[in-house]
Amino acid sequence: MVEVGIKIGLSITQIAVVMGVVLLTVMFLTLAERKVIGWMQDRMGPMEVGPYGILQPIADGLKLFFKEDIVPAGANKFLFSLAPILALVPALIGFAVIPFGPNLTVEIFGVQFQPFVISDINIGILYILAFTSIGAYGVILGGWASNSKYSLLGGLRAAAQVISYELNVGLAIVGVILLAGSLSLVKITEAQSGWFWNWFIFAPPFPQLFAFVVYVISSVAETNRMPFDLPEAESELVAGFFTEYSGMRFAFFFLAEYANMILVSCIAATLFLGGWNAPAPFLQFHGSWANLAWASGVFWFTVKVYFFLFLFFWLRATLPRLRYDQLMRFGWKVMLPIALGNILITAIAAYLFPRG
Amino acid sequence: MKFKAWLKTIIFYEILIGMKATLMHLLHYKPITLQYPHEKRILPDSYRGMLALLRYDDGTEKCVGCDLCEAACPSRVIKVISAEVPDEPTKRFAKEYYMDMTRCLFCGLCVQACPVDALGMTREYEWAVYDKRQLLLNKGQLLAIGDRSYPVREKRLELQHPNVAFFNVAFKHLPPKES
Ligand code: SF4
Ligand code: SF4
Repeated sequence: MVEVGIKIGLSITQIAVVMGVVLLTVMFLTLAERKVIGWMQDRMGPMEVGPYGILQPIADGLKLFFKEDIVPAGANKFLFSLAPILALVPALIGFAVIPFGPNLTVEIFGVQFQPFVISDINIGILYILAFTSIGAYGVILGGWASNSKYSLLGGLRAAAQVISYELNVGLAIVGVILLAGSLSLVKITEAQSGWFWNWFIFAPPFPQLFAFVVYVISSVAETNRMPFDLPEAESELVAGFFTEYSGMRFAFFFLAEYANMILVSCIAATLFLGGWNAPAPFLQFHGSWANLAWASGVFWFTVKVYFFLFLFFWLRATLPRLRYDQLMRFGWKVMLPIALGNILITAIAAYLFPRG
Repeated sequence: MKFKAWLKTIIFYEILIGMKATLMHLLHYKPITLQYPHEKRILPDSYRGMLALLRYDDGTEKCVGCDLCEAACPSRVIKVISAEVPDEPTKRFAKEYYMDMTRCLFCGLCVQACPVDALGMTREYEWAVYDKRQLLLNKGQLLAIGDRSYPVREKRLELQHPNVAFFNVAFKHLPPKES
């Protein structure tokens, strides 16, 4: 009984810490995105709130909190309230299986406890794929329930886009799973330890470079980010599926978008770039410092995740939005065959040269 | 050649070029924005800002109430109610003069149309107000804008160009009209 209590207590603490870190990262990202894009476009970004505008996220949060909450006439009230929750919860729930640091097991009061992953379930990657698909419902229902033509069009676009690009995400991941021989994110990361050429993006017998490119492009499309932000194309659809949302409900969609960004960055870092593994064994704490290896592990994981987040900003500052038919053609006629071909070759290579 | 083009397509060559450009701007960060309320641009001399009515150096209004600016204005900003100058039957002035600045598009046509240069464009542009009725300006307000924006005033027209006096200025000893 006591053990169960301690276990639940530890888990809740862990969840609270992870949620806190994710939400703080979202806060930081909103500022970082505006600053980075501003700098790339020879602007300054926010400069008014606090020195160099660093308090801008707090001001934005307060503003959203105190905004009037409007439910448009003719909206389906229940679905209208449900949609933001449906968008946000799956985005946050995915972090449950992400390994943020080395796979340690410590004993606290006689309870086995893994400090760097909330739960190491053996189908981790399937779990994430399943939940991100539920997130698409939030977008579609939000678009439909608002009773506005812009929202509906945004929702429909989101539906088509998320479905076609999730397929590519799934297929791109299959190659990694074939090489790692496991669906657990912890096992997949452990299979990439050692030098950086063991990372699945470079790994023998068949480097997953193509899968990596497909995954990155598809995940940008899946999170509805530039240049694939057709569901919220502001020049055509005002704000797409969240045109009618205001106040905290809008903030939920916003949080969901950024949480999704962090989630896909975490997955990309874990699957392709070796998760917490350093590029070279001597770049992490070893020898007499081996107790501190977790610190370097968390550091390398953070660096990789932030690399992807920077890539998101970079793409947004550079590329114009795709046309809808281009988006669909690119997804089905280019990405899908590449992903399928990658699976085929990886399967053959993994069969002929099984990893030791 | 064809192979090269194909290669460029599959490695996203154009996109990489674009991304390099944005990265270079990030690394050589030189912002071109001004932090507006704290820093202000130096405006060019010919800036077309807020309109103003002007005066001569002896303090009399230049406007002769001819209505030409009202006719020239494409968006019907101006309303002139003209009247004779008391005791000077050949001379007119604008008894009332209104400008509805909510509609003005700062084209400057009224300034060009005015035969006596009674209108001027100033470099004022900070005219945001909470109530748009505050943008319906009367003659006094327009003259006040002119006073603060044009401290150096012209001499009276008849002292500049004697010829103008024939049609603009009433002379003291005109022969009485035959009736
Ligand atoms: S600037 Fe143009 S629009 Fe404005 S009052 Fe003069 S003529 Fe009219
Ligand atoms: S401002 Fe000039 S154009 Fe307009 S009524 Fe006066 S004199 Fe005539």
